[in-house]
Amino acid sequence: MRVSLEWLREYVPINQPTPALAEALINAGLEVGAIEDLGAGMESVVVAELLSVAPHPSADRLSLCEVQAGGETRRVVCGARNMKAGDRVALAVPGARLPNGLEIRKSKIRGETSEGMLCSEQELKLAEKSAGILILPPDAPVGSPLAGYLGRDDVIFDIELTPNRADCLSHLGVAREVAALTGAALTVQDRTVPEAGEAVGAMTSVTIEDAGRCPRYAARVIRGVKVGPSPRWLASRLEKVGVRPINNVVDVTNYVLFELGQPLHAFDLAALAEGRIVVRCAREGESLVTLDGVERKLTADDLVIADANRPVALAGVMGGEATEVTAGTADILLESAYFAPLGIRRTAKRQGLKSEASHRFERGCDPEMVVRASDRAAGLLAELAAGQVASGVLDVYPSPVRRPEIRLRPERANALLGIDLPGDAMAEILRRLGIAVEIQGAEIVARVPSWRPDLAIEADLVEEIARLHGYDRIPTTLPRAPIQSPEAPPERRLEQTARELFTGFGFHEAITYRFVSPGWADRLGLTVDDPRRRNVRLRNPMREDQAAMRTSLIPGLLTAALANLRRDQTDVRLFEAGKVFFDSGEGNLPEERVALGAVLAGEGRPGFWGKGRAADFYDAKGPVEALLDRLAIRGARFQTEGLSPYLHPGLSASLRWEKERLGELGMLHPEVAAALELPDTLFLVDLDAPALLRAAAAGFPAFIPPPRFPAARRDLAVVVDESIESGELLEQIGLISEKEFREALRQIEVFDVYRGEGIPAGKKSVALRLSYRSDERTLTDAEVNVFQERVLTRLAKELGAALRT
Amino acid sequence: MIEALNAIRDEALRRLAELGADAPEAEIRDLRARYLGREGSLSVAMRGMGKLPASERPEIGRLANEVKGAIEEAFETAQGALAARERAQSLASERVDVTLPGRTPAIGRVHPLTQTAERATEIFVGLGFSVAEGPDVETDYNNFEALNIPRDHPARELQDTFYVADDIVLRTHTSPVQIRTMKQRKPPLRVIAPGTVYRRDDDVTHSPMFLQIEGFMVDEKVTFGDLKGVLTAFLQEMFDKGTRLRFRPSYFPFVEPGAEVDIECFLCRAKGCRVCKGTAWIEILGAGMIHPEVFRAVGYDPAACSGFAFGMGIERIAMLRYGVNDIRHFYENDQNFLEQF
Ligand SMILES: [Zn+2]
Repeated sequence: MRVSLEWLREYVPINQPTPALAEALINAGLEVGAIEDLGAGMESVVVAELLSVAPHPSADRLSLCEVQAGGETRRVVCGARNMKAGDRVALAVPGARLPNGLEIRKSKIRGETSEGMLCSEQELKLAEKSAGILILPPDAPVGSPLAGYLGRDDVIFDIELTPNRADCLSHLGVAREVAALTGAALTVQDRTVPEAGEAVGAMTSVTIEDAGRCPRYAARVIRGVKVGPSPRWLASRLEKVGVRPINNVVDVTNYVLFELGQPLHAFDLAALAEGRIVVRCAREGESLVTLDGVERKLTADDLVIADANRPVALAGVMGGEATEVTAGTADILLESAYFAPLGIRRTAKRQGLKSEASHRFERGCDPEMVVRASDRAAGLLAELAAGQVASGVLDVYPSPVRRPEIRLRPERANALLGIDLPGDAMAEILRRLGIAVEIQGAEIVARVPSWRPDLAIEADLVEEIARLHGYDRIPTTLPRAPIQSPEAPPERRLEQTARELFTGFGFHEAITYRFVSPGWADRLGLTVDDPRRRNVRLRNPMREDQAAMRTSLIPGLLTAALANLRRDQTDVRLFEAGKVFFDSGEGNLPEERVALGAVLAGEGRPGFWGKGRAADFYDAKGPVEALLDRLAIRGARFQTEGLSPYLHPGLSASLRWEKERLGELGMLHPEVAAALELPDTLFLVDLDAPALLRAAAAGFPAFIPPPRFPAARRDLAVVVDESIESGELLEQIGLISEKEFREALRQIEVFDVYRGEGIPAGKKSVALRLSYRSDERTLTDAEVNVFQERVLTRLAKELGAALRT
Repeated sequence: MIEALNAIRDEALRRLAELGADAPEAEIRDLRARYLGREGSLSVAMRGMGKLPASERPEIGRLANEVKGAIEEAFETAQGALAARERAQSLASERVDVTLPGRTPAIGRVHPLTQTAERATEIFVGLGFSVAEGPDVETDYNNFEALNIPRDHPARELQDTFYVADDIVLRTHTSPVQIRTMKQRKPPLRVIAPGTVYRRDDDVTHSPMFLQIEGFMVDEKVTFGDLKGVLTAFLQEMFDKGTRLRFRPSYFPFVEPGAEVDIECFLCRAKGCRVCKGTAWIEILGAGMIHPEVFRAVGYDPAACSGFAFGMGIERIAMLRYGVNDIRHFYENDQNFLEQF
């Protein structure tokens, strides 16, 4: 809402400097977003009379002008050609600094003295572009400041109003607020309507069929108007609030809207069938061409203004083309009404149509402003459009709108705010806001004025008191903290742990959009029954590639990896912890769970200048194992079965713990990689947080005392078939049942896998390091030899292993 | 015999001195062997002691040991000096290029939004708040209705909503966690809820998905002054101890009185700049006293309790903390961006 201070002064005296006024409004909740000084740069520009124009003796394109601005005659060199002696022009005198930044000095131009400059509209920033200098009307007062003459001796506040403050959507409304803040009294404007002739009731009638949607409708008739341009002062005020002047009739309705906050509409009375008004809901099949030229299909929920036959306006939103005021209009019917907010809002939303009128009606107008605004407009139409105002207002108000009575307990207000303000002071604050108050014992009974639909309950009055008392005057206190042990939700702690670990392994944390393209399921080749096809779909996505909630972190991570690779990043290491979403059927909220994912491509040991090596499966597996270790998940198994179709079947593993599937990791399938234009040596990790938490809960580590006796470490290299995985060796060793062995074996580690010289083709050598330890004594060599023998026997028997010699 | 022993000593010491300070170790070793070795002249001489009369033996024996000690000491000193020299030489020849980068695992960075959210969470936990969470996909009821934003309320316009179904939305703020928490628990409550929220908006300062932290406190006598106190403590910890705050009235349907909180622009020291749009203040969060209708919606008696709530955007705080000028950087996941935090 643009507010002109010059206009505002008509309703309230303003005695403080502009910045102080702005600050007071901001502190009262009317956010002054921008302050625009319209006269800035025009301080030294005056209206001048051009006395003579003569050619410049040494420059064809320049003229020598003599001008007079009340004082002595000045000589000015001018480059324009559109002026003649006798014209009123805008003269910038030396010392002026124009709105476009140009500084004016007394100077010599091609040998001739110039004591100022004749300005163009462009130079004064009155127009984007202009040809020649500004020629003012012949009645412009010579010698007066141009800004004052143009009505630009003004400051505009652009106030960002919150939706509850419909009452401030007018100059009168803001003036009320200023009066309440400064204690000044509102200026009462005496507006009498020069009524004449026949009574309005003889010329038209108003029928309200739906008093719920339209509690009040007032009509006036103004006859014999001369439609034409508005006078300068009115056009200028409209321009300042951002409205383009159209003609005096339309301009008057707009003017009253911005002055009093009451939307008005003028119909061409002759275009109304039977010259009468019916306020009703539209009938199925009816339509209306609104002023913007759009034909609108109406529904039975759209309130319309109709004549005897058809809708002529979308009530409270926009008028219709057929009854519009035109140059040929003589008699007009002036509508001033109060419409119920919700209905207007529904219609405006349904029709996708917003107007200054609907903006105010849907936030709540002042039902008691209806007749006053009608009177004001009628008076202006009589004055500016030579209209004859028919006697009386046809004011149909079947069910008066009542504002509530609110009981305020000062004690409660003080308790909520943390202040100690006497009840009298609260009552005084409310009075300043135009709220009628009565003190009844310990309570204040407040009668909400018609223009404040936002005040409904005690808390609303508490805010009014706080607002005017000043938020900054409420003392700052710290509530006493009850002792509690705030425990973060387990998912959150898991995310933190994973974040620490993965960043430690060189992964940057990514945050990708939780909505993705629904096409990912196909791109990743998911089977038809894959649960990851159970996307939650958005009804109104902004873009098609953000139309589904993700069921996996992989699409986002692949997208991020691709973007990085395209920016010539050769090494990609990204990690994400975030929710994934699974549709749970209509009417249910989806299942949400946290997933952990990572993507890895390029260098296996990034960041070091030594000899590099390409990332491989184990670079992806390392952080996963570290996470399992940190979570104390014991007995998790990496298996080659149960992989997603977008993973390489031989270079990937799924991760299991008991019956639980914890996730998977491995290389992106070369075909998928090729289709996505990704390198085929890209590795992925995808883990399920709830499963990890269940596994972790089972394995919370118990304290193990530090060993008192030394461990015996023995190496064992065995030759096995290429097809046997090292995990199988460990598994077999784990199956040795002898009690002494099980107690003594503390750790097995695969420390080398070797193929080549000395090993037959199709075989490999796997080197194991086994640690044995007793808690009671130092194990003897003989005992350990027996254990080693047992291991070899088992491996030989079950897996055909042979001791590497 | 005495002369012979003295002569051996003098000769050994002289020849050792002749070898000089730079003699290689082998020569010193050879020379030592010549006197002290099994067949060295001193050993030979000492073996001859057996032929001496018994009365002379103690005297000569003592002298022989003295001579042996002197020679050994001289050789040890020479060899010690040599070892020290060699150590120095070897140290001098061992050099690294100290300007090459160290061998560290490349450390990844935590996302700046996570860092900001975690920092904020930490501060609130320090103020006695516990962390709660709620779903991203929410009922219209929890996201709007229970928060005093009925259908057709103008405030819905401020938050253009993604819909999943008629009555299911992507939450537009973290405030539904208030509803969920209050329905489950009874006062006193001090809770913060960090989370992801969604609005249909996409430009330099708006992302369709962004992060918020919601906070609320409910007890018998929570005041607006307490709200001011908690937020002052938080913002001064988050930004700067001396940061000045401005609380001004604003409107959110689920609080009354409502407030918007600004911090003094720390970039221009309140002189006015691009970030504060010349106002010297930066809008940082919305807050207020919980609306009685919200208490009613969760089954609390508004007469028996009071509370405050606040909500803030993490991106906005991160943008201010790190000087990031375009919100979209946070969701592009460019490693060149991420590695700076
Ligand atoms: Zn600033």
